[in-house]
Amino acid sequence: MTTPVTRREFLNLLGAYGGTSAVLQAGAALGFMPNTSQAADISLMANNGKKVAILGTGISALTTAWELTKAGYDCTLLEASHRPGGRMFTVRSGTVIDEIGNYQRCEWDNDPHLYFNAGAARIPSIHSSVLKYCKELEVELQVFVNESKTAWVQDDAMNGGKPIRNTDYSSSMNGFISEMLTKSLGKGQLDSDLTESESETLLGMLRSFGDLNEDMLYKGSVRAGYGSGGFLDHGTKRDVVALRDLLKTRLAGSVMVTTQEGTGSGPLLMQPVGGMDRIIYAFANRLGDRIKFRAPVTEVMVKDDGVEVAYEQDGETQLLKADYCFNCIPSHLMSGIPNNFPDEYTEAMNYIRRGRAYKAAFQAKERFWEKENIYGGITWVNAPSAQIWYPPHNIHGKKGIVLSAYNFGGANYTEMSQEDRIEDFLSAGEKVHPNYREMCEKPITIAWHRMNHMLGCAPRWARSRGGWSEKEEHMYETLRAPVNGRHYMIGDQATQHSAWMESAIQSAHYALADLDQRVRTEPA
Amino acid sequence: MKKLITVTALMLSALCSISASAAEGDVGVAATMDDRYCTTCHGADGVGNLAIEAPRLAGMEGWYLKRQLENFRAGIRGTHAEDIPGLEMQPMAEKLSNESITDLVDWIGGWEYVPAAVTVEGNDRQGRTAFQSCAACHGANAEGNEALGAPALAGQNDWYLITQIENFRSGVRGSHQDDTFGAQMVTMSKTLRDEQAILNVVSYINTLQK
Ligand SMILES: Cc1cc2nc3c(=O)[nH]c(=O)nc-3n(C[C@H](O)[C@H](O)[C@H](O)COP(=O)(O)OP(=O)(O)OC[C@H]3O[C@@H](n4cnc5c(N)ncnc54)[C@H](O)[C@@H]3O)c2cc1C
Ligand code: HEC
Ligand code: HEC
Repeated sequence: MTTPVTRREFLNLLGAYGGTSAVLQAGAALGFMPNTSQAADISLMANNGKKVAILGTGISALTTAWELTKAGYDCTLLEASHRPGGRMFTVRSGTVIDEIGNYQRCEWDNDPHLYFNAGAARIPSIHSSVLKYCKELEVELQVFVNESKTAWVQDDAMNGGKPIRNTDYSSSMNGFISEMLTKSLGKGQLDSDLTESESETLLGMLRSFGDLNEDMLYKGSVRAGYGSGGFLDHGTKRDVVALRDLLKTRLAGSVMVTTQEGTGSGPLLMQPVGGMDRIIYAFANRLGDRIKFRAPVTEVMVKDDGVEVAYEQDGETQLLKADYCFNCIPSHLMSGIPNNFPDEYTEAMNYIRRGRAYKAAFQAKERFWEKENIYGGITWVNAPSAQIWYPPHNIHGKKGIVLSAYNFGGANYTEMSQEDRIEDFLSAGEKVHPNYREMCEKPITIAWHRMNHMLGCAPRWARSRGGWSEKEEHMYETLRAPVNGRHYMIGDQATQHSAWMESAIQSAHYALADLDQRVRTEPA
Repeated sequence: MKKLITVTALMLSALCSISASAAEGDVGVAATMDDRYCTTCHGADGVGNLAIEAPRLAGMEGWYLKRQLENFRAGIRGTHAEDIPGLEMQPMAEKLSNESITDLVDWIGGWEYVPAAVTVEGNDRQGRTAFQSCAACHGANAEGNEALGAPALAGQNDWYLITQIENFRSGVRGSHQDDTFGAQMVTMSKTLRDEQAILNVVSYINTLQK
């Protein structure tokens, strides 16, 4: 540090980076670990042959079909696409990516390790329903490494554009934070509510958290890795990266929080061996020809005693009459399908916005990251591509699939040509790995906003960052209540925590519980 | 009951696979990579979709459809930075070949005309007066006039007509130097003074649905 950053300067900077609200949110979240420690126990009343139409084959629809079929209902699933699974989509040799206006066919080597989860990729240990079905359907899981301290952080604004290791970044950041908090301890601001012994404990924690020296100053840490030696010889500390330098990048928010479990992230996550779609096919293969593919729904009419669903297949319009209907078609697509839903239901459907997200990946000729001591985790870059993920499976194998872009929010890749997307992630990646471009084979990209039959990455209910308005809460309740006791909207769109498989599954459980209640009370 | 469940589950697992699409033995069918993906956005049977802001295509005149696809493809339409829905449509047309456009016009031409639902309410009597200047090109019943290059407006989604008139007025549509037809509308849209006038004329067009 050439000139020290004052506390005020630091707090201002923190504020500018959304720090204050981040702190407040962190505070509010304490004691609010999502209550998913136990998966719901589904015990539906056995039912002989009631007909159920299930629209779409997202994980919520497959869960519904699976549970109902086990209980003896007669299910038919209608899927617009050639494949099941919606946003749980794994790309491997031969896969067609049906992004509209940008079709691609994946030409990677045909090898079970060489796959890419283009949609959902990570399972947190607190997502009990997802894990419950993996167990029930014998989907083999393995650990997914979400954070590697040897992965990189790169920003043109920081360190002259040269990447630094995640551990260099986070050890130094922890050191400086500890040093500053230590300085303000004893000045009556931070510790006015603490007893002497509590202050001492805090001080001790800060000292080891930041690896401070006897003078309670941060002068570098071997946690950032050794400058030299470390095994046969004494290790030397590396040069300290100045706090001011660390603060030049806005990537801190990403670099410092990937290990927080409660949000569904965490250092240890899981993935199915062979791709996320193993979960999808574990359901779908068991459901077999109950699923009709390339059968887009074209009309949904709720009647007094059931639901009539029109769909197209082989150029013909077909009619499916059912007692009940479960629908996971994305609301923004359902809006364009004629129906007789009540106005307030349609209003709620039209209200939900669709998020934008994109990913890209390529086959790496060699596992070049392993030569840099990286065996998983995420590199953060300040470019539209944002992230690089290294496959944690098949260590020391020949090739591997690298995730070369993953970002959401802005339009970016959605409006870029395939060539521009590839150039974006290559030019960002070669600032981190000099041989990146050379290692890249057969890149693919996927903009969820343009994926056929999806057109979005995740439903977005709340328009304000401050949370859900009363009107939004009301619309949400409207949409998840069944129409006429016959038509259920399911999927993560019918939850308050979208973009998770767990939410989608729980929406199905919620709807199934309602159905079961109705069926049980029906006169025989 | 427990026993029953096990038996059903066993039966289910025996009932596998249609054709391989993801891995050996997985259900699913072969993907097609054709250009007939329009209904994902434009609604089932091309009836339009408000949530995507994509208008009704069913019943659209073939010559107008063709021109718009060509304009999108050439970037004459749908490239203005503020034209959010246009920017969504533009890449959808970018890779269409001439043959594909012919096929699409043919295909869409076979869709049944269904007038769009009325979603706005204005003063259609005042709109009727304003519409007199539109009728010269779009026809007295807003049925369109191929000779003048002006499409039918009757039956189109009213929310879409409103955005288009607003787009013409602000130059978001029709200001590209090669957009000769759009340029005419830029001029004409200025005869509608404000939002209310636009709403009125669209409400009148709503009364003309065949
Ligand atoms: C990039 C990305 C990353 C993600 N990462 C994670 C993650 O790491 N962990 C996690 O838990 N979750 C993740 N998610 C979220 C997760 O994938 C979703 O929450 C979940 O898969 C949604 O399932 P769903 O049941 O709502 O249905 P969807 O997957 O939305 O399925 C909708 C279905 O409807 C079908 N359909 C559309 N139109 C019609 C029609 N007209 N007729 C018939 N069918 C139709 C579609 O083809 C599709 O099959 C991610 C999502 C994305 C996009
Ligand atoms: C990703 C969604 C999407 C897809 C897919 C899509 N469109 Fe569009 N389309 C739109 C939107 C949004 C608009 C409205 C643009 C505007 O407001 O100017 C539009 C506008 C149009 C228009 C202009 C209508 C008019 O009255 O001027 C035509 C024609 C059209 N689309 C045809 C097609 C055809 C044909 C296809 C299939 C090849 C297709 N679209 C696929 C979203 C889409
Ligand atoms: C001088 C002839 C002319 C007059 C008068 C005219 N228009 Fe148009 N209008 C056109 C043409 C030509 C187009 C097609 C533009 C294109 O191809 O992009 C058009 C397009 C439109 C569209 C877009 C339709 C679509 O499907 O995207 C709307 C809406 C419209 N006109 C409304 C009006 C209204 C309202 C008036 C009266 C205030 C009016 N027009 C007067 C020539 C005219």
